[in-house]
Amino acid sequence: MMFSGKQTKPTFKSYLPPLQTDLKKSPQLPIKKLEAKLLPGEIIVNEANFVRKCIGSESQDDLWGKLVCTNFKVSFISHNSLPRKRFQCTHRLLGEHDIPLACVEQVVTVNDLKGKQKILGSNQKLKFNPTELILYCKDFRIIRFRFDEAGPESAKKVCLAIAHYSHPADPQLLFGFEYVGKRYHGSTGDRVNGVDPGGGMQTPLFDCSSDWDREIKRTGASEWRVCTINQGYFISPSLPEFFVVPVSLADQDLKQYACFFYSQRIPLWCWNHPSGSALVRMSNISDPQQQRKVEQRISSAITKSHPLRSDVFKSDLDKNLPNIQDIQAALLKLRQICVIDPFEESEEKWLSSLESSRWMEYVRTFLRHAVEVVYMLESRNVPVILLENEDRDLSCVISCLVQLMCDPHCRSLHGFQGLIQKEWVMAGHRFLDRCNHLKKNDKEESPLFLLFLDCVWQLWNQYPAAFEFTEVYLAVLGDSMWVPIFSTFLFNCPRQRAENSRDFASSKSIHLGQDQALRFPPVWDWSQQFSLKDQTLFNNPLYVGKIATCVQNGTVKTFTHRRSKKNYSSTLRGLPSALRNGSLGPNDTLARRNSLVLRLRSDLSQVREQQETPSERFIRDYFSHPVDLQGLLLPQLLPSHLSVWKLYFLRWVPEAQIPQGGPITAFHKLSVLTDEIEMLQSQLRQYKGAGSTPNNLHAEHSKMYFKVTSTPHQTPSPPEYLSSSFPFSPVGNLCRPGILGTPLSKFLNGAKIWLSTETLANETF
Amino acid sequence: MEESGSVDSVESLCSSTTTRSDRSSGPRVSDTELRSKGKATERIYKDPSKGELPLLPEELVQDSAKDVTYICPFLGPVRGSLTVTNYRLFFRSTDREPVFQLDLPLGVLSRVEKIGAATSRGDVSYGLVCKDMRNLRFVHKEPEDSLKKSVFEVLMKFAFPVSNNMSLFAFEYKQVFPENGWKVYDPLAEYKRQGLPNESWRISKVNDHYELCDSYPAALFVPVTITDEELRRVSSFRAKGRIPVLSWIHPESQAAVVRASQTMVGQNGRRCKEDEKLLQAIMDANAQSHKLFIFDARPSVNAAANKMKGGGFESEDAYQNAELVFLDIHNIHVMRESLRKLKEVVYPNIEDSHWLSNIESTHWLEHIKLILAGALRIADKVESGKTSVVVHCSDGWDRTPQLTSLALIMLDSHYRTIRGFQILLEKEWLSFGHRFQQRVGHGDKNHTDADRSPIFLQFIDCVWQMTRQFPAAFEFNEYFLITILDHLYSCLFGTFLCNSEQQRLKEEVPKHTVSLWSFVNSQLEEFVNPLYVHYPSHVLFPTVGIRHLQLWVTYYIRWNPRMRPQEPVHQRYKELLAKRAELQKRVEELQREAANRTATSSSERPGSPTRSITPVQTFV
Repeated sequence: MMFSGKQTKPTFKSYLPPLQTDLKKSPQLPIKKLEAKLLPGEIIVNEANFVRKCIGSESQDDLWGKLVCTNFKVSFISHNSLPRKRFQCTHRLLGEHDIPLACVEQVVTVNDLKGKQKILGSNQKLKFNPTELILYCKDFRIIRFRFDEAGPESAKKVCLAIAHYSHPADPQLLFGFEYVGKRYHGSTGDRVNGVDPGGGMQTPLFDCSSDWDREIKRTGASEWRVCTINQGYFISPSLPEFFVVPVSLADQDLKQYACFFYSQRIPLWCWNHPSGSALVRMSNISDPQQQRKVEQRISSAITKSHPLRSDVFKSDLDKNLPNIQDIQAALLKLRQICVIDPFEESEEKWLSSLESSRWMEYVRTFLRHAVEVVYMLESRNVPVILLENEDRDLSCVISCLVQLMCDPHCRSLHGFQGLIQKEWVMAGHRFLDRCNHLKKNDKEESPLFLLFLDCVWQLWNQYPAAFEFTEVYLAVLGDSMWVPIFSTFLFNCPRQRAENSRDFASSKSIHLGQDQALRFPPVWDWSQQFSLKDQTLFNNPLYVGKIATCVQNGTVKTFTHRRSKKNYSSTLRGLPSALRNGSLGPNDTLARRNSLVLRLRSDLSQVREQQETPSERFIRDYFSHPVDLQGLLLPQLLPSHLSVWKLYFLRWVPEAQIPQGGPITAFHKLSVLTDEIEMLQSQLRQYKGAGSTPNNLHAEHSKMYFKVTSTPHQTPSPPEYLSSSFPFSPVGNLCRPGILGTPLSKFLNGAKIWLSTETLANETF
Repeated sequence: MEESGSVDSVESLCSSTTTRSDRSSGPRVSDTELRSKGKATERIYKDPSKGELPLLPEELVQDSAKDVTYICPFLGPVRGSLTVTNYRLFFRSTDREPVFQLDLPLGVLSRVEKIGAATSRGDVSYGLVCKDMRNLRFVHKEPEDSLKKSVFEVLMKFAFPVSNNMSLFAFEYKQVFPENGWKVYDPLAEYKRQGLPNESWRISKVNDHYELCDSYPAALFVPVTITDEELRRVSSFRAKGRIPVLSWIHPESQAAVVRASQTMVGQNGRRCKEDEKLLQAIMDANAQSHKLFIFDARPSVNAAANKMKGGGFESEDAYQNAELVFLDIHNIHVMRESLRKLKEVVYPNIEDSHWLSNIESTHWLEHIKLILAGALRIADKVESGKTSVVVHCSDGWDRTPQLTSLALIMLDSHYRTIRGFQILLEKEWLSFGHRFQQRVGHGDKNHTDADRSPIFLQFIDCVWQMTRQFPAAFEFNEYFLITILDHLYSCLFGTFLCNSEQQRLKEEVPKHTVSLWSFVNSQLEEFVNPLYVHYPSHVLFPTVGIRHLQLWVTYYIRWNPRMRPQEPVHQRYKELLAKRAELQKRVEELQREAANRTATSSSERPGSPTRSITPVQTFV
């Protein structure tokens, strides 16, 4: 009972000194240079030797080495290499066996001799000497260490250290601060130790008014303007300094309205449909008496900015979508069946368990709601306001999905990254709380961003050639949430970043200069994590290149919704020519050869008008035409067409791995072909004399991960290391614990699906 | 018109599927060939409702009726005219533009029946239950003249020719294709490819006239140490005389896949020393292993229950060094029931909220999993354990070919090519007597026949699952598999007719009918998977977890108009291939041009190729 109830947590600093390493106790065996690789600002907190990392079900595969806890990660350093060394992306910040502390969801210590186990929180005591440490990770990994040969005291201490340091008491104790702060010392250049705060990148961060200006121009939103009244965050604590509002609203009006909205959040412009209909997000108005008046003023301003002065449609997200707790509960259930339950057990009821987790249902709900909004913009040509209580969670998902479906620019790599900056980071999604980086409040934790990535994946899965990036990119982006150095995922809003930066800078005597905040790298600075070669895994060989969107002679050429011309369509295949424009001529000689369904589809436009809703009709119409991958993309929403994102959710499960198989084997072939095309194109350029790039430079410049070999036309066999988990590997990453013959899942089946600190802290075995 | 019409007649054979994917692009070489053939064939046109119905050779209109209403589950009632030929049902709408058409071979019908009595308006409703996962409903006015037959009575007659003492349309159809598909499979050539006969295995002529076993092929491979006389004795100990014979042999380890039927052990535990000797000889033929695995496809309870009926399984006492494994695959009745449930779940509409648990309740994927898992164990024993295996179920003509042919696909990359797959079907399914006539019930109106079962569909589903897991390992695409299934029912080709090689020979099926492979191999490019990579000695070990199995949506749900055909990757790959070809052409042109220039300007620096390339001014 002594661990229940929240205690005031000590700071890192006060906790640091008493811990000491136990190296002296085990000097007899020469352990040579088992040293953790440290990043700038990273310090070793504690370590234990002669630790065994469990790799497979057989203990002979286990690795021996040293377990180190730093202020950034749990590191395991070993002389041995993995038994079956599979390919892995080399992470620049993390070694093969490293887990960032921010990725650790739960620290479970076990003493299997005494039959005890305990979940460790911050600053707790442990009454037994652990024989085993199990780390449950936020990315679904389960890592297990054994201390059979380690000194009992040092084992205990390293466990306590890991538990403590994975529960930082204050955001400034997140490693990113030390890491970035370190880089200010002794550096004078603009680029601080390689941290490029977005300057050289093509991804707009939307932290300056020029990025918004460009977005206004790009989307042709001439009736909208950048508003600067929140500079210094004087109006709203959770809004960015720059955002976009209707031109008809003066700063003075906005200041007046601000107080009526939750957290003074003036409604934010997200995007303009080519037809001129705007997508706007808005929080609830706190004062019911003012509600109608204020809403009316806002709506009429939005209407005024519409070319046809159309009325605004309000979409209430809270009413139509699951809340953040629902989504969190769904993920926990999904995690349970994916990685915690014994494989064979979960196999039996896989489909119904999957259904009862409701994760897929939520993915579908969000996609469907986004389609409804698209219908309003695309077909009804009205501006849409996304209404959500705080406008910081569900709106982020919906506004992004709408833009992904409508705007091909958002499906390019930089467009997608800009979209996330705009709708998540700048709009003030509480990444710090939703990720629960401080593990303070479980109720605030919710995998909204992961849900969004899953929705994007569903679109990607249905239209793989419409996106510039791959599913590996999406998975790695999701994982990056747990590497706590990126400006993208560390804060609840831009203001928090600025404030924390100032505090930290003053406490560390860092001179910020002209910067508002510490220069945390955005996650988009991918070179922080991966080599250029590894980054090519993000490039989709299928991608159908972009149509230039640019400003010409002052008039905006936006993306168009042409539905023909380019036959990249996926529905085109197999359709008789006459069907391509939606009609079926009686003289079409090909007409009969094909299916009933095709005819049905073309025919559908005639029937069912009486029973279906206009938006259903819109969707049906959409699917009766060939899809232009550079135009509108609507997902197929039948439950049979949505699938589990296997690469993300099942990548660690050894039993679910397809050796030398999976979509990656097709990707390999496509990649090689695309590389060959790139090579030919560069050769052509050479012949034309346009570029003087010598031939051999091609290999370095290639955007493809898998490259053509010296003998073209002969596709090489896919490398042996490819598997459905590629580029991830289950080896050593999923050790389901079996404790004293009691699978942990059985032990957990009672109260909660996922280990909860409160319930388990008091359990005594 | 003549020309294009004839192309159409060939095209219309393509299965009625939504998944036609790779068709719109790429050169269709065979078109011209088909066209030239088509010219020779006689064309018959009938104009039932202004819409021309291009008929196949020897296809004749039997009856047609105006004023028929098709009750479409997706569109509601559609009025139009219905035509019945000796091959197909053809419905064409008259009340809407664009025209709605239904065109299906009568062979897919498993049941046609009047639903309810005539209404006051004289309307009668007819329900058509199809073998390809759909049901159709029509409403038609009863003819006022009671002597005149309704079009549906004509339909019933031609839908079930076997029950009406008529011949199947396959025996009428006389289309000529550039290739003769009946020549695809030559048993001796196939065994020769496997290196047979060799010092351990010989071909036996004991079944040359199907005397030993009427459901087995003539060519049988057995261990050299076993005489024909001994084989005869073995045949009396194995159900239906289906003795253990070789299916496949590993080119390196010589581990063999042997198939058989159950032993007739019975309740008294009968033994047969020749059978024991034969299995020992099979084991001895493989020097790599001193063990033999016997895979009994059935659940052990079912296998034991068979002893009551005289059957049973090998006891490990009698067969030393043999290990018996039960694979827990259920019988044809369970499978039929499972598919029936599946049809309820997927047709016509799918329930959004309980989709996954509904699928689970059909157990269809569970059965698929067990079959694949069984095949995987077999392949693993042969490949990794270098051990010979004997596979059987009860009669050895349902679960056994499922298992052996799937294991062979895993083990031998040849069977993953289009022609190799055809050979596999001809060998493991057709020559070894899978009872297609019984299981499908071609032209037979007895839809409740307990011998019907979707065993072959299940096998194709398993193959499809493997193609999903290994998208680059198969030469054929999904359309190939769907085409096979569509013509399993269509009765247009002779391939899937009859129950055994002997019957097909007796009926002279190859002489009187066209092989499906004639059609397929005459337009191969339609069926090619562009992502295919041929790697010769590559064994596939699929993952059989339910997580990686999925419902074959593009087959089972293809009638749903909300279905969107997918397979964009293939399409995109073909586009990229075309782009590459174009670029290569241009580069070669420029290279030639550059070479000419350097040749004329008496090259000073023949060294590096990059240096020799001068900017080509003429290039626009």
